[in-house]
Amino acid sequence: MTFEPGARVRVLPSEKPGHVRTPAYLKGKVGWVESLIGEFPNPEELAYGHSGLPERPLYKVGFRQTDLWQDYIGPAEDFLYADIYEHWLEPERGTT
Amino acid sequence: MGGSPGGSIDKGQHEVEDWERLADAINGALGAKGLQSTDELRRAIESLENYRDLSYYERWVAATEKLLVEKGVLSSDEIDERTAEIERRWDGP
Repeated sequence: MTFEPGARVRVLPSEKPGHVRTPAYLKGKVGWVESLIGEFPNPEELAYGHSGLPERPLYKVGFRQTDLWQDYIGPAEDFLYADIYEHWLEPERGTT
Repeated sequence: MGGSPGGSIDKGQHEVEDWERLADAINGALGAKGLQSTDELRRAIESLENYRDLSYYERWVAATEKLLVEKGVLSSDEIDERTAEIERRWDGP
């Protein structure tokens, strides 16, 4: 699966144990793919001394701050960008 | 960690201490020799039971010890013996 810039995505709400690079506060949240950063060895495997291969696509994903924090008082156009690996993303087809 | 509430942020500056420079240098040397990677260090830091009680470089040191023992590069006994030896010298006459 590959995401194009602009694609709406949801971060998987996975409780995968061990080392993960996906911030807990983004799990289950909906955002959009800003760009493909590149492909890199999987840090979840590198963390245990494995090769991390095959390389995984890493995306710059944008989120509305108002979607992330309850009682967020900043402007609605405040965004947060995070680097998220493809295996942590699923297509979001719903509307907001 | 990972977005959990962390309280207020200490924005004060402090001098880097010698042992902190050494901790950084050891990490760099182990990385150059392929004995430890950033991803492994992060994983080991996250799994420290006393994570919240330790300072930044104390976490590095504790996690490095954990990794080197895990990989069989050093044993806990070797580290403890060497630590005791240095403490004796430190307390010296």
